[in-house]
Amino acid sequence: METIGIWIAALLTLGIFSFLYKDNPFYKFCESLFVGISAGYWFVTTFWQVFMPKLADNLVAGRFYYMIGAIFGVLMLLRLFPKIGWLSRWSLALVVGTTAGLYFTRYLVSNGMVQVQNTIIPLYVKGNLSQTIGNLVIVIGTFSGLIYFFFSKEHKGAFGGLAKLGIWILMLSFGASFGYTVMSRMSLLIGRMDYLLGTWLGLIH
Amino acid sequence: MRYKNLRSSLVLTFFLFFLILPLSQILAQDDTLPPPPPTEVKAGDTPNDNGHSITITWKLSGDDGAGKKNVVAYEILRSESPTGEFVVRGMVPAGNNTYQDRGAKEKEDKNYFPPHKDFYYKVRAKTLNSYSESGVAGPAVAYGQWFHIGKLPVFVGTLAFTIMVLAFISLARKGKEFYVRPLAGIDAVDDAIGRATEMGRPILYILGLGSAADIATIASFTILNRIAKKTAEHKTKIIVPCNDPIVMSVAQETVKAGYLDAGRPDMYKEENIFYLTSMQFAYVAAVNGIMLREKTATNFYLGKFYAESLILAETGSVAGSIQISGTDELAQIPFFVAATDFTLIGEELYAASAYLGREPLLLGALKAQDLAKAIVMLSLALGALAASFHFGFFLKLFTVQM
Amino acid sequence: MNFLEKLLALDRRIIFLFIAIAVALPLFFTVKLHIEVTPVVRNLHNAMEALPPGSKVLVSLDYDPGSMPELQPMAESFFRYCFMRDLKIIIIGLWPNGPIQANSALEVILNEPDIKKKNPKYGIDYVNLGYTAGNEVVIERMGSDIPVTFPKDYSGNKTEDLPLMKGVKNFNNIDFVYNLSAGYPGTVEWVLFGVDPYKIKLGAGNTAVQAPQIYPYLNSGQLVGLLGGMKGGAEFEIATGKPAKAVKFMFSQSVSHALICFFILIGNFAYFATRKKKGA
Repeated sequence: METIGIWIAALLTLGIFSFLYKDNPFYKFCESLFVGISAGYWFVTTFWQVFMPKLADNLVAGRFYYMIGAIFGVLMLLRLFPKIGWLSRWSLALVVGTTAGLYFTRYLVSNGMVQVQNTIIPLYVKGNLSQTIGNLVIVIGTFSGLIYFFFSKEHKGAFGGLAKLGIWILMLSFGASFGYTVMSRMSLLIGRMDYLLGTWLGLIH
Repeated sequence: MRYKNLRSSLVLTFFLFFLILPLSQILAQDDTLPPPPPTEVKAGDTPNDNGHSITITWKLSGDDGAGKKNVVAYEILRSESPTGEFVVRGMVPAGNNTYQDRGAKEKEDKNYFPPHKDFYYKVRAKTLNSYSESGVAGPAVAYGQWFHIGKLPVFVGTLAFTIMVLAFISLARKGKEFYVRPLAGIDAVDDAIGRATEMGRPILYILGLGSAADIATIASFTILNRIAKKTAEHKTKIIVPCNDPIVMSVAQETVKAGYLDAGRPDMYKEENIFYLTSMQFAYVAAVNGIMLREKTATNFYLGKFYAESLILAETGSVAGSIQISGTDELAQIPFFVAATDFTLIGEELYAASAYLGREPLLLGALKAQDLAKAIVMLSLALGALAASFHFGFFLKLFTVQM
Repeated sequence: MNFLEKLLALDRRIIFLFIAIAVALPLFFTVKLHIEVTPVVRNLHNAMEALPPGSKVLVSLDYDPGSMPELQPMAESFFRYCFMRDLKIIIIGLWPNGPIQANSALEVILNEPDIKKKNPKYGIDYVNLGYTAGNEVVIERMGSDIPVTFPKDYSGNKTEDLPLMKGVKNFNNIDFVYNLSAGYPGTVEWVLFGVDPYKIKLGAGNTAVQAPQIYPYLNSGQLVGLLGGMKGGAEFEIATGKPAKAVKFMFSQSVSHALICFFILIGNFAYFATRKKKGA
């Protein structure tokens, strides 16, 4: 059974890879199969890992207040019916409001205050040139990046110069991010190649 | 007589030898003698908590890090009366002079720590073979605080930002004109729509893979409304394939409103705004097919995108479309920057929706954000300068104790 | 069309072929590359080394099979390290597939001869509490009560009956948290909802796509250390003295990266050269 599974996985992998040459019926079949199985898998996962433990088990245990959540969930789906679609705004409001409340102070602390705290660093460190340069890069880079995202003033003159520096620093970070992403994609390809050449064909150990 | 004196002397010598020798050895064994006890033991309510904890502090024993240096740990003992039985509540290694005695808040829990009850504490300094105890400290009572002083910066920040947002929205509603700097991607929108009209080819608008509750998708709806109005004026077809059914229904309303604003409600075709699939790569495959079949002149990718961003942009490039993109997903911005003609980076997407929509709510929020950014920039600049001269004031303003 | 113009118009399928060869061919060779352990990985390793035997480590696997090539080697090397050092492992998942990935990794590690000698037992040395829906709210809830958040383990046993979970009420009873993340919910949520409110010690392993976004948390000290992509996984294997899958794949990674750099260089050269020619 395991051998059949390995062969199926390998053939489906090759089917998806065939798109790199040209769109073809084999690729379309593999893609449709993937879509269908993903949809079915997600449905089953959602049913057994979310619906059953979070709603059904709680209702069976007598915690009927969980029905409130279920009702809001149903209201969300009413969006699809034009006449009563306005009812979904209640669910949307609950979701957006709860998320905003949950996240606001967390983001303010973790992504705001702690980051600002760690950027308030001395611009000059006596006897340590590399740290001085590093600190200057961090402070000036953060400052100019913020300047770029300031929308209340046109980017002209000295302000524009700082904004330009900001976008250059942003581009450097995007380049690093791009490189990291390329590394990630290569890693995924290596994983697949290892599967095909190792697990399937047994050519590598 | 002489022998008697000699014998007495010898006996005395032997006696002294066998007395002094073990005594000296006993005295030389430091661990058997108790160390100096910890002093100045204080017990009090732990600040900024829910009322189920008491903090005990003490002055280190004289043999902890000094003197004989043989103290290995401190035990903290607690009793409900000063003369009652003391039980060990915890232990800390030598060198530490503080301990938090805490427990559960549920009464049913075996480790329940009752608030508003007197407790008495002793601290025991321990060596390997002996110990000494401090005097009794107390009574100490645990009680909860209504306000966490350590989180004051968060409170001030939240309050200040909320006031700024409400103030700016109020001003915008009263008709005050707010300046928003031009954005390259948005300036190109009109040209891109004009190009599509000239070529007689449709416009493709992708709202991304987010839900209707995502900020990026909400911002994208505002831009879609504006573009729908323009396409209605130019009589250009707009195609909006959606990844989410709820997003689709909102998009349909948005485009319809745009056509209404342009005075062309009859031109609105609901079948141009449709749901494809919620599966990421199946959606991308279908959108790629639309791009290549319909030969769209202009593609807009504005919203929340993930790994499919580069696939979309590449296919659009192959099809020869003008591409304008915008997302707040940091990992996808580099791909859009590399593969599309104009990119709205991160917050520029939100600014674009305020710039185009000119809604008081969006404009007010944008202005408040800009003011908050200005405050942060000022704090950074002054703080870095102050830190260079070793003034820690600015650092304290942003220090939060959770 | 001259050579440079032909180069710019090169069929992308030829590039795909070169990449495929660059990735596949090195897999046939065993080449020992010198892999320097970077400070971000070293810090994570040092934090783990400071834990005494018997310490409880919470491992949150927040990824699915799509990120397996990068994160599965990290999970395996981490479990191997914990078993060798007698650290107790509590596995959870904020993604439905996370606990399944954990079981796959455990299956591999528990069959290794060194680990077999240690004979770790389920319920005593490691537990798998499974997945629960709720994303960041799960982390928030664990700050108060872990057994209530995960009332049953992956196999349906009551959490309170597991010997390892006795005395584990919340994050105060956990010595270290290790998160393997491929997206949302993941390391960012662990920092926002775990580190800052509950002061947990957090180490993370991320896909290379996500790693750049996590670096600000490293610099601020909110994160103890980070394994970024397959390279980070390889560095951790080197730091623990047990090179495995990630180290094996580094040769393939290096060759493919070198090829991409070569294509970028010649592509840019051809672009600027033809532009100059057209300008002239």
